[in-house]
Amino acid sequence: MSEEKKKGLDGRLLRRIISYLEPYKIWVGVAFITVLVVAFLGPLRPKLVQITIDQDIVTGDLEGLRNMIMLLFGILVAEGLLSFVNAYLTQWIGQQAIYDLRTKLYRHIQRQSLRFFDTTPIGRLITRVTSDVESLSQVLSAGVVTILGDLFKLIFISWFMFSLNWELALLTLAVMPLMVYATFWFKRKVRVAYRETRTQVARLNSFLQEHISGMKIVQLFGREEEEMNRFKAINDEHRQAHIRTIFYYALFFPLVDLVATIALGLVIWFGGLNAMQGTLTLGVLIAFIQYARQFFEPIRNLSDQFNTLQSAMAGAERIFDLLDSDLSISEEESPVDFKTVDGRIEFRNVWFSYDPKIDSEDDEADWILRDVSFSVNPGQSLAIVGATGAGKSTVINLLLRFYDIQRGSILVDGVDITSISLADLRSHIGLVLQDVFLFSGTIRDNITLRNDEITDERMKRAAASIGASAFIERFSAQYDYEVRERGMSLSHGQRQLLSFVRALVYAPRILVLDEATSSVDTETEEAIQNALERLMKDRTSVAIAHRLSTIQHADKILVMHRGQVRESGSHQELISQDGLYRKLYELQYQEQKALA
Amino acid sequence: MASLARLNFYYWRYKHLFIPGLLCAVISSSFAIIVPMVVRQAIDSIPRFVTSYRAFQGTPLENYLYTDYFFSLLTFGLMIMALSVGSGIFSFLMRQTVVVASRHIEYDLRNRLYDQLQNLSHDFYLKHATGDLITRSTSDIEQVRRYIGPAIMYTTRALVIIVVALSVMFVISPKLTWYTLIPMPFLAVSVGLVAHLVHSRSDALQFQYSVLTSRVQEALSGIRVLKAYSREKVEAEAFDKESADYRKKSLDLAFIEAAWRPVFLTLVGVSTLIVVWVGGTLAIAGEITIGNIAEYIIYVALMTWPVASMGFVITMVQRAAASMDRLNEIFDAEPGIVTTEGEAIKEAKGAIAFEAVSFRHPASEVKALNSVSFAAPAGSTLAVVGRTGSGKTTLVEMIPRLLDAESGTVRIDGRDVKSIPVDVLRSMIGYVPQDVFLFSDTVAENISFGTLGAEQSLIEKAALEADLLDNISSFQDGFETFVGERGITLSGGQKQRTSIARALIRQPRILILDDALSAVDVGTEQTILGHLKKQFGKRTIVIVSHRISAVKDADHIIVLDEGQIIESGNHDSLVQEDGFYAALHHKQLLERELEELA
Repeated sequence: MSEEKKKGLDGRLLRRIISYLEPYKIWVGVAFITVLVVAFLGPLRPKLVQITIDQDIVTGDLEGLRNMIMLLFGILVAEGLLSFVNAYLTQWIGQQAIYDLRTKLYRHIQRQSLRFFDTTPIGRLITRVTSDVESLSQVLSAGVVTILGDLFKLIFISWFMFSLNWELALLTLAVMPLMVYATFWFKRKVRVAYRETRTQVARLNSFLQEHISGMKIVQLFGREEEEMNRFKAINDEHRQAHIRTIFYYALFFPLVDLVATIALGLVIWFGGLNAMQGTLTLGVLIAFIQYARQFFEPIRNLSDQFNTLQSAMAGAERIFDLLDSDLSISEEESPVDFKTVDGRIEFRNVWFSYDPKIDSEDDEADWILRDVSFSVNPGQSLAIVGATGAGKSTVINLLLRFYDIQRGSILVDGVDITSISLADLRSHIGLVLQDVFLFSGTIRDNITLRNDEITDERMKRAAASIGASAFIERFSAQYDYEVRERGMSLSHGQRQLLSFVRALVYAPRILVLDEATSSVDTETEEAIQNALERLMKDRTSVAIAHRLSTIQHADKILVMHRGQVRESGSHQELISQDGLYRKLYELQYQEQKALA
Repeated sequence: MASLARLNFYYWRYKHLFIPGLLCAVISSSFAIIVPMVVRQAIDSIPRFVTSYRAFQGTPLENYLYTDYFFSLLTFGLMIMALSVGSGIFSFLMRQTVVVASRHIEYDLRNRLYDQLQNLSHDFYLKHATGDLITRSTSDIEQVRRYIGPAIMYTTRALVIIVVALSVMFVISPKLTWYTLIPMPFLAVSVGLVAHLVHSRSDALQFQYSVLTSRVQEALSGIRVLKAYSREKVEAEAFDKESADYRKKSLDLAFIEAAWRPVFLTLVGVSTLIVVWVGGTLAIAGEITIGNIAEYIIYVALMTWPVASMGFVITMVQRAAASMDRLNEIFDAEPGIVTTEGEAIKEAKGAIAFEAVSFRHPASEVKALNSVSFAAPAGSTLAVVGRTGSGKTTLVEMIPRLLDAESGTVRIDGRDVKSIPVDVLRSMIGYVPQDVFLFSDTVAENISFGTLGAEQSLIEKAALEADLLDNISSFQDGFETFVGERGITLSGGQKQRTSIARALIRQPRILILDDALSAVDVGTEQTILGHLKKQFGKRTIVIVSHRISAVKDADHIIVLDEGQIIESGNHDSLVQEDGFYAALHHKQLLERELEELA
């Protein structure tokens, strides 16, 4: 709140928000015109009623009366139509602008590198794209236009009153500061009280959230009575906070009514005296009674608008901060043509840290990868072995250019990956993660990732060769089977197989694989083993391997430790060296011999 | 609407607020309705004053008359203000009673709801999402409250104003009144229609909003896959489509809202025009006065809001009834866990036996447990191993009766658990669940959660056994360290150990560790197990784990797969068997060796 206050109405920020209306400026112009006409027509009616009373009713002119009524009716309908057009048009403009801003923001977020996602909670990003953008909608739609409309309405009412009788006009306006004061006083009080109720609502919600999620614990540990008492206390404070806001509402509504009635009383008293001196007609008196009531609405609207503007500023600031910071991977302006590849991979003295601020000259700094070099020839398979935290996953992340390295270079077919467009680079690499991520949608959506170029036939062929078609076709909806959020309706093994199909259907030259550690049942295990062989055949593959079989059959093995390559070579070569790998293998071998 | 009848009880409970409150509504409206009459009097008297004043102009009476009229007009003005003050005071009192009473009822309802939630079994929570239950206890209750307070208040006010205003108007001129009323039915109908459309369209908008939110949530959670397969463009287009749909739904709603005010104002305007036209004709004919026209104009203004509010009240009642139905679903839910009569338990030993126990989760086709039988003697250690989803957690949840068996029997010390009172049963079990759940409170409060008011020494002892004492001592506030919401400030391992300490402090006969050592390293695991081993024989321990190191010393190990026991025995015999257990053992051995070698 204090932050909102401090920001107040920052002109630059406001101009930047309004710049989103630029493409719709013609419509904004139309909205302005309609709002001006409406602001004029509203106050015009009491004036015409006054003429009707004074010139027709008092003099008994029936025809004149009918003509005036027709005119008034016409004005009323015109006012109604125009204010509808205005209200809808402003909303339409606002929603267009909101759409533009939201999709722009989303694309901006999506373009960011993983470095950005590592440090930014997804919840925060969701808030930016949804509710923060939403908070701008009032400003972008009704905001500016309505404020001007209300101001003009006040001006027109005053103008009509002064043209009718300036003394009475002054008298009526004398009450208005009271109305303005009451309205703004109320808004201020209610805002404070509301903040308190919001706090209490949040407390109540978090208590409920916590206790409903943890109900099992409450019950297992027999805490029902104690927690009931705590709940009652919070619930009571929640009630008290609300009762306090009732007070302000209870006071405000009669107060506004009272101020309007004071104006009415003054008009009757002073107007009556004026009438005796012959300076005021009955029609004017009746017109003033109506003006005194009309004056209130624009004042209330203005106080509403003022609040929306303030809260919108806070949201706008957060959105623009996000738009102004860019951590996306920068792509070469004229990237190397890279439509077909053989699949040769090379890491050349790669140094990397997830900390972007690391001193790249300091060899002693906290590096995740230190001087890593290796190469894989087209069609060969590479298995990376190492303990948790040795840097295995990092190698994969770097190959896909999820992050940019600090020193060294990574080459595919001898071309530095920074000079290839991201889309081209990644189109040649199939990624299979140990933690399979499925999107809610059908099996088809998850295999093709909504790529229309992938035909059903191609998809089915891929599924068949991976050995996934058996389980898919067991579902009555087959490829249209809904996998639900994160693939909840599938078993772990099935999800794994789907991710293989996904990789295969994109037919990449290079396969990058993070082998699953979690054990699956033997049947699926076999299916996965076969699928893997099928996948890796004729492709360059880089695998973080956990299964001895995968490791043994790899063309090349990389033993990593604390960000460095300790050993590398084929199984035979490494066995013949008296190193880490050999010890590992022997232990493993003994273990198996002992079993047999 | 029948569902709302349940609330009558609350009206009666707060009758001391409702009766005076509604009385205030009547008085306040009555004051308000007198104002136009005074205005008419004033306006009608002005021409008379003017005529007589002119007649005596220039005579000595002129000053006297002026003073007299001055004060008469002043009296009119003051009367109007006084009436407004009177109406305001009672309107203030009305809100302070009726709306306040509605908050009291909301308070009562919510307490009752939470009390019921505490009585409902685990089964109920499997069927209802947390978010849904929270919505019911917050916004559904709010909907019901609106019916209790504001709806009744508006109805009373509207009735008084409409009845009184109409009576007065009919007395003045039945003809003018009939004409004036022509737009009113349209007003009520259009408000009802608008309120209905606004609700259904804002529900549709709300729905699309959550679609949009989950779209972003999912895309950003799977950003790695999206990027790896270069699907950013497609995803952005899908997002565009959802945004466009959201825009459309917003505009659908905006259309109604944009149309509603002009329609409302035009109908009111037409009423006023009719007053001027028909009233003017009548005034020319001398049937009514010009003051009556002004009076009617004010009546129309006074009546519009009450008439319009009736349209809103109808939707309020509909919404409240729907919400009340949802609340009644909770109020009427059976607590599920029922205890059959049995002898009181004297001294529990802690022997556990499962006899052909089967269980199926609600709305699931597959059995989570399929005819599982085993026996763990008192004081022994039982380990349960199996991959994710094999039924391990379901199995241990049957012991404290978080779940009840579909068929078969779970016995403790030979007695069917269903015949032991739930609170007694649970008080002898220390349970450490798979998902650590801590409350936002201090570490001490969390440890002593199940032993209210435990002494500090006991808390420290439990923390020591859970290998947590050193950590806590290093905290600045020690045991008084506040654990953020759901324990955010602690590390995963510290949270897990707090959860273990919470179970240990109860000195349970049966200790259940459901994968409770997953977040601690192997060294800490061994320390904790070492503490537990000191009490071997004193309590029965059930360990669910993925780690061989945690289960290898157990007296008996069972391996679950798809709800069935596929292997059982001790560590050595299972390794010999060369099945699932042996495979798991080798894999973990390899990993450990890698760690150690490197």
